[in-house]
Amino acid sequence: MSLFFRWNLVPLIIASKFLVISQVHSAQDEPVDFAREILPILSNKCFACHGPDSKKPSQLRLDSFAAATADRDGVRAINTDKVQESEILFRIHDKEDPMPPEDAEKQLTEGERKLLSQWIKGGGQYAEHWAFVLPKKEKGKEGIDDFVSASLKKEDIDFAPEAERSVLARRVALVLTGLPPEPSQLSKFLADDSPEAYGHLVDSLISNPRYGEHQARYWLDAVRYGDTHGLHLDNKRGIYPYRDWVVKAFNDNLPFDQFITWQLAGDLLPSPTLEQRVATGFVRMNPTTAEGGAIPKEFQAKNNFDRTETLGTVLLGSTMTCARCHTHKYDPIEQVEYYKLFAFFNSTSEGSMDGNRYEYAPVLRAPASGQDWEAWGVLESERVAILEEASKLSGSVKGLDKKAWGGSDDSARFAMIIDPNGSWKGQGLQSRAIDLNKKTGEIQKRFTTTLVTEDLKKPRETKILQRGEYNLPTGDPLEPGVPAVMGSLPKEAPKNRLGLAQWLVSSDQPLVSRVLINRIWQRIFGHGLVRTPEDFGLQGEQPTHPALLDWLAVEFQESGWDLQHMLRLMVNSRTFKQDSKWRKEVQDPDNRFFARGQTYRLDAEVIRDIGLWASNLLDPTMGGEGVKPYQPVGMWSALMHPASNTKKYVRDKGQRLYRRSIYVYWKRTSPHPMMTLFDAPVRESSCVMRSRSNTALQSLGLLNETQRIEMSRKLAERLIASSNDDSRRLDFLFGLLASRKPTDPERKVCEALLSKMRARYELSQEDATSLISQGDAPRDEKISPTDLAAWTQLTTIVLASDVAILMY
Amino acid sequence: MQTPDPLREFDLNVTRRQLFGRSALGLGTAAMAQLFNDQSFGLDKTSPTSHGGLHHAPKAKRVIYLFMSGGPSHHDLWDYKPKMQEMFGQDLPDHIRDGQRVTGMTAGQKTHPVCPTKYKFTKHENNDEGLWVSELLPHTATVAKDLCVVHSTYTEAINHDPAITYIQTGSQIPGRPSLGSWLSYGLGTMNENLPGYVVMHAKTRFAEQSLFGRLWGSGFMPSEHQGTLMRSQGDPVLFLSNPKGVSSKDRRAQLDALALLNQEQYSKFADPEILSRIKQHEMAYRMQSSVPELMDLSEEDDKTFDLYGEEARDPGSFASCCLNARRLAQRGVRNIQIFHRGWDAHGNLPREHESQCKDIDRGSAALIKDLKRLGMLEDTLVVWGGEFGRTAYCQGGLKRDNYGRDHHPRCFSVWMAGGGIKSGITYGKTDDYGYNIAHPDGTPMRPKPSKEKWTPGTMHIHDLNATILHLLGIDHRKLTYRYQGRDFRLTDIHGHVIKDILA
Repeated sequence: MSLFFRWNLVPLIIASKFLVISQVHSAQDEPVDFAREILPILSNKCFACHGPDSKKPSQLRLDSFAAATADRDGVRAINTDKVQESEILFRIHDKEDPMPPEDAEKQLTEGERKLLSQWIKGGGQYAEHWAFVLPKKEKGKEGIDDFVSASLKKEDIDFAPEAERSVLARRVALVLTGLPPEPSQLSKFLADDSPEAYGHLVDSLISNPRYGEHQARYWLDAVRYGDTHGLHLDNKRGIYPYRDWVVKAFNDNLPFDQFITWQLAGDLLPSPTLEQRVATGFVRMNPTTAEGGAIPKEFQAKNNFDRTETLGTVLLGSTMTCARCHTHKYDPIEQVEYYKLFAFFNSTSEGSMDGNRYEYAPVLRAPASGQDWEAWGVLESERVAILEEASKLSGSVKGLDKKAWGGSDDSARFAMIIDPNGSWKGQGLQSRAIDLNKKTGEIQKRFTTTLVTEDLKKPRETKILQRGEYNLPTGDPLEPGVPAVMGSLPKEAPKNRLGLAQWLVSSDQPLVSRVLINRIWQRIFGHGLVRTPEDFGLQGEQPTHPALLDWLAVEFQESGWDLQHMLRLMVNSRTFKQDSKWRKEVQDPDNRFFARGQTYRLDAEVIRDIGLWASNLLDPTMGGEGVKPYQPVGMWSALMHPASNTKKYVRDKGQRLYRRSIYVYWKRTSPHPMMTLFDAPVRESSCVMRSRSNTALQSLGLLNETQRIEMSRKLAERLIASSNDDSRRLDFLFGLLASRKPTDPERKVCEALLSKMRARYELSQEDATSLISQGDAPRDEKISPTDLAAWTQLTTIVLASDVAILMY
Repeated sequence: MQTPDPLREFDLNVTRRQLFGRSALGLGTAAMAQLFNDQSFGLDKTSPTSHGGLHHAPKAKRVIYLFMSGGPSHHDLWDYKPKMQEMFGQDLPDHIRDGQRVTGMTAGQKTHPVCPTKYKFTKHENNDEGLWVSELLPHTATVAKDLCVVHSTYTEAINHDPAITYIQTGSQIPGRPSLGSWLSYGLGTMNENLPGYVVMHAKTRFAEQSLFGRLWGSGFMPSEHQGTLMRSQGDPVLFLSNPKGVSSKDRRAQLDALALLNQEQYSKFADPEILSRIKQHEMAYRMQSSVPELMDLSEEDDKTFDLYGEEARDPGSFASCCLNARRLAQRGVRNIQIFHRGWDAHGNLPREHESQCKDIDRGSAALIKDLKRLGMLEDTLVVWGGEFGRTAYCQGGLKRDNYGRDHHPRCFSVWMAGGGIKSGITYGKTDDYGYNIAHPDGTPMRPKPSKEKWTPGTMHIHDLNATILHLLGIDHRKLTYRYQGRDFRLTDIHGHVIKDILA
């Protein structure tokens, strides 16, 4: 018992509240919800032996009504005629020969026994697992708050009051752009009492390019984006145009169905555009090797395991891995279905080994910076405009071979237009086209290569691999296909990646929109509606608000997969705008009721970006090769093979030190320590939810790392330059980081530290100069070293404090 | 845990997502789970607190793992095969190779000439029939009585990246937590001023393979379980030192102010995580003195350097890492790994292995002796080994005194010593070619890892990991972490504790 009392009592109190709820449930004898209450028990406690992967054909299976009610030598697990005689009822209560057996690792709890009994006595009906049923909008409810308030009412609580407007401004700016609001933006918002003010703020945040960068980051975690191959030598890989395209796609608000289709199968679209082809970098994102001695066939299989399973995590919220070796223990996915899904990826044309090459073919030349992407976009619109106009004019152009024109695709038509001796000679359109061609050529000179996906002319044969062993193919060759429980390929769909994409975004697909919208909810509200975003299967958690999840999933599809529409719905909701203070009367540490706003430590990238932004160091340049900020010496060389081209970290100079963290070079076997210290995943495998740890090493990083000190100093300079008055400077500091003025206690703490530090550095100019000489950014020599050092000491801690690094 | 019982679901979520996250210094995880009666840890309900929250009474309180990355040659160090001398240059018999898949590097080789070691082996007295040790490891030979040398370790992976990832994370494909983070998750930490899981990289002249963050990374577990690098270059722990111009006194003043600012945030939002962050800032402050104290060897007596050699004064040398390991262990750090690279001798094996052995021999032996003299060996588990062995046949040109060997997964030698391990024995046997694990009569066998059945006399890498966990009081089948709907284990669905080698 001693352990018991040593522990914090909070969870126990909370637990007792839930206990009451569950008792109420059984007392009322409500019908048991099979999908929500029973299936998880069966899955977790019974399916290991009695599930889809039962080893012996004679084994009782409990994963379908038919099997569970079948007569087996006079005994029926569920006896629908005489429910009291159901074998399950008997065995789960039997002391002599219990089920699960005595030595089973997972035993039933008393509550579970009760539920199972209640279910069987009620007829033992089966229903499909919720996530495999198409989502529908529940009638009578419109919008997020209807659903949340309905669940709050059940708990007899109300929404928390709305957060202060300044706090709300900071929150919405952080969730949309990953940065606090600009001071001008904030004061404009605070000065505007009109009901539209908040909407205007949201508009301005969404139209800021910082928005796309921030939203893209979550996607890069999910697809495991890296700038290196990941295995063995972990050499450089040229694929950053893909990253820049993702940012662009978010900023363009590319409809999500297209976002997915292009990434899976852009190359298979008719006359694919550059963007569509760059997007296929998604398929190439798996870690690869070229280790001497590695067996190509083995890696052909491994690469595609990775792709199949990543697709499962990112879009299907399904854990496919089990089915690589045997039929899934819990979810109704057969091994053969795994390999049918695998077959979609098995015909890509790249070699299974990367050759340690930056240009691991097939590659495509693409814009090498955000600026060029933008310029390219402008030229592309011009191109479209020219072609449209040409279509209109084509009837009246003399000498034009109408038949050839009609049968040509866009690029052939364009060639006809610019042909100096062709029928378009002398037309105004021709000179526009020639001009465009010239400009395009100039940008193309600056293009860089990026890994893309192409298929072999003749598809590679796929068979089941026994136990997942590359050298044990078995059975007949398989056609690509999708797991039956998730629907079927649309009739017209080709049996290739394009067909796969068409299936994923079709309205007959139960998972994709749920899985995506859940992750969007997760980044806006701090926790998903399903708290296992990687697993919507039987072993995953149930949604806290199932009807809301479904409503959002359908709304997402109906809106034309419009992410910005969904984000607006979320940030405009009352649910989002609540005060973040933990409520004494609501025992809900995980915020499962969403009865308050969120509090959590911000992500690694956001913490760094806030510092760069507040100190005015942040360089807004977008895209391009990964940047290398300060990093302790020897971190790469201590690990790497002498032949690796990433064994030496050569840090950047100048503006590249201050780019947004999304652009920090991502070496998968050793990412930047200020990222991994704060739970950034290494990106060797998909990550759809980061952990949020809290460690002493983080403290050391926040207070001692070179860039932290440099940004603290530059922030100090900015504050000092803003006013001669310490009090105003503090207002400015807190305004930047917390969107509010300091409270009296905060003000006192800061002033006390300042005066202490001023006195201390006054006595040691040498120390003051040392402190303010760190980092490459030039120092404002007009400011006295004492003052600057003292303010730097203060800004360091305010930047490290929960004023700055906490979402609230 | 997906149960329809909100009580349980809630408890488990509290357990996993909050308490772990919030108690970097708390009890070991198993203990917490026990508190919440979590079946996924399969706790021993009959004796709730008798083992300090572990599954059973531990034999070792801590582990020091000396990892020889690249695959040391068992032929040239541990596995004495005198008959191979007569077979010099002859093709390895087919029945010995028996369909073994070989790496792309020697797959095309027309012959596979038997390559006997050029090194002299001597038999050293142990507590059993004696231990044959090559002349490359003279110091290690002197602790023969303390070692349990397992000749029958095996794996399936044949290349470095998958093989190292396999032995250190239980899976050949990246993404799983490392052995060390499983231990961190299971054991918690005993020292409030030092990280619970420390990793060191020793210097080598042949840095021929890469190491990867994943080998001490936490995979899908929270990052607090990742190993902390103790570095020989710059700050021993990343970002440990205050910036220039900031004294410890200044930092104290800063942290006091920081705590007040965070308190103010706490009064606004009441998120307990904020309080926990204040504690972590304080721990960081303590680390700023405890780590330099740890690294300061001035208190060590001459006896220490007699054992480890003067090389132990050279930061980053293997000897110095071993000495640090002992000092860490003394300070309550339970989970220490030293990675030494350069064992991948495809060619010029003698030149490379001589240098490698010189790096590690004295330090390894000194560590054993040192722990012993301090009375710590009995509850410290020391493990030495790589990710696979090397072939009996030569890769490239074969000479009596120069040769190379390819990767070999079917058998390799690993030794263990200390807490809970039988001392002075050898375990397992290989055939006359050191190519296959063999029955006691010397006939080759082909064990496969199996959930149900363990093949006596063999130690699959999952068995090795199961045994390490066992010695530390953890049942490898019960230490689980739920991710993607599955209760993951270090040993996947495999692993058997090798009881034959337990004291």
